[in-house]
Amino acid sequence: MSMSDPTRPPGAEPAGPPDDDPRRADADLLQAEADRLQAELEEARPPHAGPLSQLSAAVVALAVGVAGAVGSYALGLGRLTQPGPGLWPFAISVVIIVLSAVLVVTGRRLQDTERFSRSSLLTAAGLVTLVALAALLPVIGFEIPSLLLMFVWLRWLGKESWRSSIVISIGAVAAFYVLFVLLLQIPLPRLI
Amino acid sequence: MTILVGYLPTPEGAAAVDAGLREGALRGERVIIVNSPRRGAPVDEHMIDDAAGAELLRRAREAGVDAELRQPLHDDDLPETFEQLVRETGATLIVIGLRHRSLVGKFIMGSEAQRILMESSVPVLTVKAAQ
Amino acid sequence: MDISPILEGFGVVLEPANLLYCFVGVIIGMLIGVLPGLGPGATIAILLPITYGIGPVSAIIMLAGIFYGAQYGGTITSVLLRLPGEASSVVTVFDGFALAKQGKAGTALGIAAIGSFIGGTVSILGLTLVAPVVAGFAVDFGPPEYAALGILGVLLISSIGNGNKLKAIIAACVGLLIATVGRDTFTGAERFTFGSLNLAEGIDFIPIAMGLFGLSEILYNLEERHNQVHSPAKVGNVWPSRKDLGQAKGAIGRGSLIGFVLGVLPGGGAVLSSLAAYALEKRRAKQPERFGRGAVEGVAAPETANNAAATSSFIPLLTLGIPANATMALIFGALLIQGIQPGPQLVTEHPDVFWGVVNSMYIGNILLLIMSIPMVGVFVRILRVRPAIMAPITVLITLLGAYTVRNQVYDIFLVIVFGVLGYLMKKFGFEPGPLVLAFVLGSMIESSARQSLLIFGGDPAGFLTRPISGTIFALVLLVALWPLIGRFVRRKTPARVEEKISS
Repeated sequence: MSMSDPTRPPGAEPAGPPDDDPRRADADLLQAEADRLQAELEEARPPHAGPLSQLSAAVVALAVGVAGAVGSYALGLGRLTQPGPGLWPFAISVVIIVLSAVLVVTGRRLQDTERFSRSSLLTAAGLVTLVALAALLPVIGFEIPSLLLMFVWLRWLGKESWRSSIVISIGAVAAFYVLFVLLLQIPLPRLI
Repeated sequence: MTILVGYLPTPEGAAAVDAGLREGALRGERVIIVNSPRRGAPVDEHMIDDAAGAELLRRAREAGVDAELRQPLHDDDLPETFEQLVRETGATLIVIGLRHRSLVGKFIMGSEAQRILMESSVPVLTVKAAQ
Repeated sequence: MDISPILEGFGVVLEPANLLYCFVGVIIGMLIGVLPGLGPGATIAILLPITYGIGPVSAIIMLAGIFYGAQYGGTITSVLLRLPGEASSVVTVFDGFALAKQGKAGTALGIAAIGSFIGGTVSILGLTLVAPVVAGFAVDFGPPEYAALGILGVLLISSIGNGNKLKAIIAACVGLLIATVGRDTFTGAERFTFGSLNLAEGIDFIPIAMGLFGLSEILYNLEERHNQVHSPAKVGNVWPSRKDLGQAKGAIGRGSLIGFVLGVLPGGGAVLSSLAAYALEKRRAKQPERFGRGAVEGVAAPETANNAAATSSFIPLLTLGIPANATMALIFGALLIQGIQPGPQLVTEHPDVFWGVVNSMYIGNILLLIMSIPMVGVFVRILRVRPAIMAPITVLITLLGAYTVRNQVYDIFLVIVFGVLGYLMKKFGFEPGPLVLAFVLGSMIESSARQSLLIFGGDPAGFLTRPISGTIFALVLLVALWPLIGRFVRRKTPARVEEKISS
């Protein structure tokens, strides 16, 4: 949602010569106001991470490009008159490689990455419950894994009280059972 | 020395403030009115706005009590929030309002007041709403 | 112009089931617009599996309702809490909240509702008139034109979107790359399948959208500490006075036009038009200093514009098959799921879908107006629900919903994988929007580019010599080089200002 980019497309602002036009000043001021408000709203977010994370992001993108290029080259590029299956992905991969290389060089000072904080552990814990649900679903049905997921998210990720965590998770899973199984008759794997 | 008064915009809360201010005037102690909303939702109906806060402080002045309003956020740990305030301010008394509740209501929602009673390290004065 | 299909479209909308879906969509849209956290994009993504169960018209009517309903829902929190629910309501905060502090929250909300209604309706009228013309113009487009349009669309969304452009274009290219996974339709060769049968079928749109838009947002929001709690706001009388309406009249008119025009531009849309409309009003005002202190026009202009833009952003999708923003990409995907290819043929081949969706917006806007004013109190109450309670419920809907599409656990894992990818992208400053959009357009771009090469006998210069595709590629070049041009202009400006000061 951050709207910090100063470069706007043509026609994005009321028309007029770009220089020494009060209209432009107005729009810039407004943009600044909006940015400030946005920053205020994003106070809850962790602070931005340093150049190292920018660099690693760019390198990962570069690696994706290289892997794509190698993989599509192996598929066969063909000729322009008769494009092989690898031509198009190869072309995209080359674009990725070029742009990521530019990003490696120029992106170091960007401030749009977020530091991982203690609360990132919450996300990791949440992720574990998701994988557990997906793994257990075919084995023991959706009821117990869903109940566990609800409970973990409420009690530990959401810091609800024991009592409301129990009540809400049972209520929600019961509602899901009624909705999915009884009303919509979707063949979810289930225990009962 | 300080007295902590738990306040919510309910009759019980009003009774607690009345009792707290009386106690403050009697002992000549400072009163801290605690209006602690639950963290999370954008809006908590128990959170009072600036005007209501100013009104509470005005009543305290009328009663001749030096009062202050604090609005710390709490998660599932209201008693701990009070304990922290006790440690921070050296309060010697907590005043809270108590609501009469049905058995079922107690089971589902629990009772913050009861937990404060059990866990507080200083004496707790509980009052009921005016009949 | 033959209006009988338009009237038949109304027949489609007025079927009770479709009215219900429209109603449900608008309500859901307003709710999630009010709740901070989940945006309309995430919600539409999460609800995509539902579209399998109901017909195409009903599905799109509902999804569209969510989209424009959210535009109004975001206003409520902007005005009452100084907390824009959606990005397009950010500027509404300035005057909306100032009005609320003066005890005129109701006026602000009422003006916003009326402005939204008028802006939306004007925009639908424009859509009704313009869309068939554009579609008629585009009906002769061949593969080269489509390839060019697709590339332009991807580029525009990436470069006009929020955040760093380079990162956005890289994300878009990754989306194009993911779209190539599976069996190549031309040669039958398997690409990037790593011997997996699941991957051989290609990656489905639904898990990608649900993961990148839905789940990633939930995972991302888990890290947020909500340290601001507000006391319940008093709304008061919602009906604006005659004087307020008179003051807002001009702003609503101009906002409608700005919103309609900017909404059509790919990537432009609601956010940009609300900013532009506010700036225009402030500039035109006799006393600009009133703005930010509770000017009715300051609420009317952006709110009218964002609704108008939300509506007109359907034009490129329904006429050219190019989604103008991330939400439109989802609706594009939803249409594809139903076996309907959005594009110039839509209006002639599926008039029921085309006019059904367009006309549902008239009804949706009326529903929005009727509900918003009396139901503000209800929506305000929803703000008391803690996100911690909503999050696991949304997660369950997402994962179980993903399963129901094909009854495969594999799809749940895909959603999780893309959810994590989206989360990491956000952490590292990449927007998932361009990726999803490029993925949607990917196979279309590739197949039309390859068909074109066959037509041109392998000579890529053919793209540039055909008048329309050549023009589009010129635009592509302009958009691609715009940041450089912009930098050049910007570098020049301070120098000139200095000159002025020194002289």
